[in-house]
Amino acid sequence: MRLNDAVLGALLLGLAAWVWWMTGFFPDFPGQAYGPRLFPRILATGIALCGAVLLLRGLRERAPFLLVEDWMRDPTRLVSFLAVPGATLVYIFLSEQVGFIPIAFALLLGLFLWFRARAIVALPVAAGVTLAVHWFFAGMMRVPLPRGWLDAVL
Amino acid sequence: MEAILQAFALVFDPFVLGVILASAVFGLFVGAMPGLTATMATALLVPVTFFMPPVPALAAIVTATAMAIFAGDIPGAMLRMPGTPASAAYADESYAMTRRGQLNLNMGVNLVFSVAGGLIGVAVLVLCAPLLAEVAINFSSYEYFWLACLGLTCAVFLSNADPVKGVLSLLIGLLLATVGIDPSAGVPRFTFGEVELMQGVNFVATMIGMFAISELLRNAVTVRSAGGAVVEQVGDVFRGLGPVWRRYWFNFLRGSGIGTLIGALPGAGADIAAWISYAVSKRFSREKEKFGTGHVEGVVDATAANNSALAGAWIPALVFGIPGDSITAIVIGVLYMKGMNPGPTVFLENPQFIYAVFLVFILANLLLLPLGWAAIKGARQVLRTPRELLLPVILLFCIVGSFAMTNSLYGVSLMLAMGLFGWFLEEHGIPVAPLILGLVLGEMLEQTFVQNMIKADGDWLAFFSRPIAGTLGVATLVTWALMVVRAVVGVRAPKLQVT
Repeated sequence: MRLNDAVLGALLLGLAAWVWWMTGFFPDFPGQAYGPRLFPRILATGIALCGAVLLLRGLRERAPFLLVEDWMRDPTRLVSFLAVPGATLVYIFLSEQVGFIPIAFALLLGLFLWFRARAIVALPVAAGVTLAVHWFFAGMMRVPLPRGWLDAVL
Repeated sequence: MEAILQAFALVFDPFVLGVILASAVFGLFVGAMPGLTATMATALLVPVTFFMPPVPALAAIVTATAMAIFAGDIPGAMLRMPGTPASAAYADESYAMTRRGQLNLNMGVNLVFSVAGGLIGVAVLVLCAPLLAEVAINFSSYEYFWLACLGLTCAVFLSNADPVKGVLSLLIGLLLATVGIDPSAGVPRFTFGEVELMQGVNFVATMIGMFAISELLRNAVTVRSAGGAVVEQVGDVFRGLGPVWRRYWFNFLRGSGIGTLIGALPGAGADIAAWISYAVSKRFSREKEKFGTGHVEGVVDATAANNSALAGAWIPALVFGIPGDSITAIVIGVLYMKGMNPGPTVFLENPQFIYAVFLVFILANLLLLPLGWAAIKGARQVLRTPRELLLPVILLFCIVGSFAMTNSLYGVSLMLAMGLFGWFLEEHGIPVAPLILGLVLGEMLEQTFVQNMIKADGDWLAFFSRPIAGTLGVATLVTWALMVVRAVVGVRAPKLQVT
């Protein structure tokens, strides 16, 4: 997926303007000429310059507004792509209630099967990896992985 | 002397040796898998090393990267798929050698010259870093300001991306670094009232997102259609190396020299070192016409260069706190987390840690010989690891790793956002390495800049008032001028294809 440079440039100009506007809310210190807003404003100017160059360049090139690669039109490959952020979102929203072990096992198994691993391999690997990661991070490293449903057992 | 003995005691501890061995195996595996890079190996290691004392943590990173950079050569020669970007420069040449029936020789050359190149890089690191540190101890905020500027500039100048997009990536990184409490006045900026953002954008979660998640996104698309790899078995890799040594010893020295130098330049790492030394080798070869047909000469230069660059990159990282490549950018983050702020004072206050890092480097390069040999022999099995299993497991590591950094879901959310953002940037030809450098150096740059402005009361000439600061300043301005000329005239560095 590729936006035209002109669109990208316009977005960057917007970002630069937003940063400049935000810095207006930083407090002033009397007698101090160089404060917290100086550096972000220099960066905003730089980003705006880059954005302007890209904008001009994009207008000259006349490339399509949005270039979509072949894989994005293929539903299975699109799902494969979305599976990565999708699985992470599922973890973010459900891990607290469900707990690390069930959610990690379910995500691994689901992804293995979607990526065409055989069930006879996928099941033991998902279980083994989940337990190994839990043992290493929760046991050895003392990371407070959520217990969820297994709170009583663990 | 006492510090050196302490360093030996620190390194030759059973736990540290165990960590070295485990991370060596990990590094070889990640390096040998096409699509998984040495930087990604480092990013995945950081959460694991987070809970370790400094020496094993650094040892794990040093060892894993040294192994990964070599292991990237293996699939390059066998499948024409470089295992890491650092092997991309000569993957075609190596594969051509394989097709001519010289896989054994190629693997032997890659292994032995990687080890030797790595050792040359370490020797330069050991000799130069303490000397430079003695100079650096007198640096004021002016010198550090220009050093940071020069480092960030090199990152853009040496990368092969469009200069406008390189600068843009850098500025975005610097902007991300301004999130949190501002270093001069203590005002929270761009935090939107979120407590988690007060400490700034979490560096490790960002890095896991940018280097690992974005890579997974690119890989996920092809997993279902990828077939299993078929590779041939390797025989005696050490046969026929003698004549190569006698004939190409100068190439080896030149490659290692170029590699160390490019590694030491802030912002450019092993991959660029390999490209440049391969190009130099071809340019000055007496048999230019043989390049590309399976000729060993360029491989000697480039394989020595990428391993020597690794140690070279640690020189500015340890002495000035300015990363030489994206791996040492991560290392600097780790050093800060361990309370060992990089800079010349570490050489005075904790010399035993510095010597321990040197020792680990030597040890890792020596270990590379037997372990690398085993990896070559086992390549058939390693390359058959099913990607449909590997990819979800790496995703789980990323999730747990970024969770462990903040002990909250904030890390995971940040990692996901940064992963998608990094993927978006790379789709538009905007490199992510300058962004990471900007994120690491942002605070130092802003702090020294604002400090200098206050000290000099806005007088720009004061930035050039000290001899070293003046020299660094002029060098930075000249590089900027060159970049502008290059952008206007449209002369680009020869197009380098980085996978």
